[in-house]
Amino acid sequence: MSFITDWLDWFPTLFDGLLLSLQITGLSLLLGLPVGLLLAVFASSRNALVRGICVGVVEISRGAPALVVLQLFYFGLPSTGITLSSFTAGFAALALTTAAFTSEILRAGLQAVPAGEIEACQTLGVSRLDTLRFVVIPQGLRIALPALMGFAILIFQATSLCFTIAVPELLSQAYSIGSSTFKYFSVLALAGLLYAAVTIPATWLVGVTEKRMSRHLTLAH
Amino acid sequence: MEALEAVLLGVPLTLLVTGASLSIGVVLGVPLVMGLRSRNMPIRSACRYTVNLLRGIPAIVWLFIIYFGVSIGAFQFDAISAAIIGLGLISAAYMAEIYRGGISAVHAGQWEAGHALGVSDWTTFSRIVGPQALRVSIPSMTSYAISLIKDSSIASTIGVTEIVFFTTQDARSGGGGLTVYLLAAAVYVAMCIPLGLLSRKLDSSLRKKVSR
Amino acid sequence: MDASQRAQPMVSLRGVSKNYGERTIFSDVNLDVSPGEVMAVIGPSGAGKSTLLRCINFLEEPTSGQITLGGRTIRAGEGVSGRDVQALRRKAGMVFQHFNLFPHMSVLDNVSFAQMRVLKRSREDANKRSLALLDRVGLADFAGSYPARCSGGQQQRIAIARALAMDPEVMLFDEPTSALDPEVGLEVLAVMKELASDGMTMIIVTHEMGFARDVSDTLVVMADGKIIEHGDPRQILSEPNHDRTRLFLRAVLGR
Ligand SMILES: Nc1ncnc2c1ncn2[C@@H]1O[C@H](COP(=O)(O)OP(=O)(O)OP(=O)(O)O)[C@@H](O)[C@H]1O
Ligand SMILES: [Mg+2]
Repeated sequence: MSFITDWLDWFPTLFDGLLLSLQITGLSLLLGLPVGLLLAVFASSRNALVRGICVGVVEISRGAPALVVLQLFYFGLPSTGITLSSFTAGFAALALTTAAFTSEILRAGLQAVPAGEIEACQTLGVSRLDTLRFVVIPQGLRIALPALMGFAILIFQATSLCFTIAVPELLSQAYSIGSSTFKYFSVLALAGLLYAAVTIPATWLVGVTEKRMSRHLTLAH
Repeated sequence: MEALEAVLLGVPLTLLVTGASLSIGVVLGVPLVMGLRSRNMPIRSACRYTVNLLRGIPAIVWLFIIYFGVSIGAFQFDAISAAIIGLGLISAAYMAEIYRGGISAVHAGQWEAGHALGVSDWTTFSRIVGPQALRVSIPSMTSYAISLIKDSSIASTIGVTEIVFFTTQDARSGGGGLTVYLLAAAVYVAMCIPLGLLSRKLDSSLRKKVSR
Repeated sequence: MDASQRAQPMVSLRGVSKNYGERTIFSDVNLDVSPGEVMAVIGPSGAGKSTLLRCINFLEEPTSGQITLGGRTIRAGEGVSGRDVQALRRKAGMVFQHFNLFPHMSVLDNVSFAQMRVLKRSREDANKRSLALLDRVGLADFAGSYPARCSGGQQQRIAIARALAMDPEVMLFDEPTSALDPEVGLEVLAVMKELASDGMTMIIVTHEMGFARDVSDTLVVMADGKIIEHGDPRQILSEPNHDRTRLFLRAVLGR
């Protein structure tokens, strides 16, 4: 059972990596979600130019693999004179990906708010901005919550791509242990289990939230 | 122009890895979903754990485990096989979930109708529920295929010479790094557009059929 | 009736038409509603009753014609300004078939929200007014609950309170009871009857023939894109001028 002692040895290093992965996830969401919301709101703007720009940004950042966006930020941007640290490049790229994907999720959520409520606002003389702020966005966010949580899990998994730009997150830590001990299987399996220890309970939580939401929505009608 | 050539050089392997792992997923997803719906508790939980682990661990970790971690005697997987096997297994898990959604979208009355007619469970599934479930699943399958094209880029990390591999190589050797990456992004978008159109078309035609 | 007839009408429609693309829903509708008048609008499904009502407060923009409401006139089709529409809407409260309450706000907030954001009342003033109105529709005890916890009839009464909170000069109702069980509908009709007797100007699209006969001052029958009858409810219901009306009444009254 030598792998158990190995695992105990490696655990602190991998755990540090995991914390960094979680930190990148948190920062990406913190930065990406508000931008995603703006993109979602402006994607239904009455101004065709604004709408076009939003749809363009979203489609391109969704259409390219996260890995390409990530490497573009780290290896590509320096050619324009902007040099980012690997950590900054990592979370900036994932934040952009977050913004693009969540804008679609949020747009669907906002559109799911019953049109009748928006009409009620119109007849009450509530401005468009107030209607968005007090009626559409609070409910749209709530409707989108399970999908957003599901996306957060994907972004957490995507932090493993930061390995390619040498951010010392979970996978990088595991890989470097592997390359010095040649016990790749064992250390990568432990890393995999650490990822799963976050994603599997989180997925379960999404399921619970989804059920609760659907119960609320049926109650309201 | 050179940059574009470099990027395009990777297209065949991107398509190969995507196509092969999607095929594995589409096929292996079937026994997996049957396991997920099995009445046999150990089989059901074994399949559930498999699916959760396959989906819960990042693809790149799976590829590393298969490529660096697996050695049977002197045998090791080459990079392309490791990528196809890894992405194929992950696809199987996603496909199983998509099929499960499709099956539960088929009205329970269809099962009952099958039973009432005295048709066996298996025949009801393969002749009545299965085909309908597949039809319902097709839009999700197409969108999964789109995300798989993009996820296949992960194969570059174990040295498969697909689009991102050549892109990174070019960016690191040449000067204008940004251009190569933007070109790579454009090539991916271009590859996904036909599938996106297809999925939108299938989606709306299915919706018509359902709402009829 | 004579006195109110001569006064300035509260609502007046002149040559109002509505098309959806090629399709004409109604054309050249002329209608006056005096202050304090209760007008019921009936007619077969698809006649354009809802569309007409929604044109009055510009929820749908009429294709042509002009609408005056509480002294404000908007002419359709010539670059209608959002500000004018806003001003016109403030004078009209609207109650929908499906209530359209805000499910994420408490009952009290549902009624107070627009008062605070639109009329700029303080939360205190708004809540005071809301509670008075909720009391008037018999729901003061429900101020703290959420709409989902209320029955359909209660929700519709909350919706009425919400509209009244904006101090409208006219109330527009689009089949306020047709999503409700008959018994529950009675609670809502009682509130509306009281509102009518307090002198509110009301236009009510309804399928409740009893209510149309007993409560309304005037009755309008819409069919085939036109107003085919307009006058005293009892008169029209007992001796309609048109065969089309007779056909419709036979269908709904079952005789
Ligand atoms: N947005 C729209 N686009 C096209 N046609 C519409 C639209 N809204 C309504 N219509 C059509 O206008 C006609 C009148 O609709 P309206 O809802 O005003 O009828 P109604 O008299 O209120 O009927 P009901 O008693 O069923 O409520 C209907 O035939 C409907 O199909
Ligand atoms: Mg109607």
